[in-house]
Amino acid sequence: MSDTVSEELKARLDAFVGQPMGGLSTAPDPVNVAMIRHWVDALDDQNPIYLDDAVASAGRFGGIVAPPAMLQTWTMGRPKIQGLAERGGAPTTFETNPISVLDEAGYVATRATDSELEFERYLAPGDELESSSVVESISDEKKTALGRGFFVTWVTTYTDAKDQIVGRQLFRVLKFKPAVTSSPEADA
Amino acid sequence: MSDPTKTSPNWSEIAVGDALPTFDLQLTASVIVAGAIASRDFMPVHHDKDYANAQGAPDIFMNILTTNGYVSRYVTDWAGPEAMIEKIAIRLGVPALPGATMRFTGSVAQTERTGSFGRIEVTICGTTNIGDHVTGTVVLTLPADP
Repeated sequence: MSDTVSEELKARLDAFVGQPMGGLSTAPDPVNVAMIRHWVDALDDQNPIYLDDAVASAGRFGGIVAPPAMLQTWTMGRPKIQGLAERGGAPTTFETNPISVLDEAGYVATRATDSELEFERYLAPGDELESSSVVESISDEKKTALGRGFFVTWVTTYTDAKDQIVGRQLFRVLKFKPAVTSSPEADA
Repeated sequence: MSDPTKTSPNWSEIAVGDALPTFDLQLTASVIVAGAIASRDFMPVHHDKDYANAQGAPDIFMNILTTNGYVSRYVTDWAGPEAMIEKIAIRLGVPALPGATMRFTGSVAQTERTGSFGRIEVTICGTTNIGDHVTGTVVLTLPADP
């Protein structure tokens, strides 16, 4: 890659820092027992506060609550399954954001590297969530074991129907060009 | 030890240095796909091996939401139904791939009483045959005067 292209790309990426990452995401459904059950079964999580109404009602939370790590799940966009791979793995069509810009520039692979979840309260069935994200930082191009790429960090804030913050997440991904196994650089 | 599906440990008996029981998670394609879809993460690298290969990965690998879910489960398997998790801060290392066993270990790093609750910081690690998949800390509270 020429330095000119790199600088142009870097300038495009820098313009995103501090800006919203996509629009407001509204959860397609309120927090609900069906999705909680799906999660509990998938992870074989036996904590009774997620599905056992009697135990949950008698305890600290006063009723069933959602597994806290599901926070990010509730506002995930509805996927378009047809054409998933052809869109470079994007589950839906995105607005222009640092991820789509990096995809176009050939940094098509994504690997999550850091996550910091904070919970103000546990969510209960009926909670209606919205989330909004802001780009916190984008690194320079780094050479990593996976290939050359950029670390993109954003912070997502989750709010309930009363506009109270229920949780936050800092998320960092590496967007990279996969090192090709036949390349002499692959062993680097 | 008490059954964490019924009761939480006594706050007063939790001390810095306490080890959480070890948990071995057998990783299969089913475990990885089930977690990805339950968390509504449809990125093909978490369910489509050919796609994962094209991205330079040897196989499909666990998504971060599922990793967070297992970290949460690991800690509450010990801390029980009265625990409320306040924070899960993790760093991802090597991917969690089908065929591996991920061993979770953890220990109490810090305890502090705040009002009627005890706050506990737990250090956790999930390791496979190729290295650490996840390292980090979980902060939770338990009622101090149950």
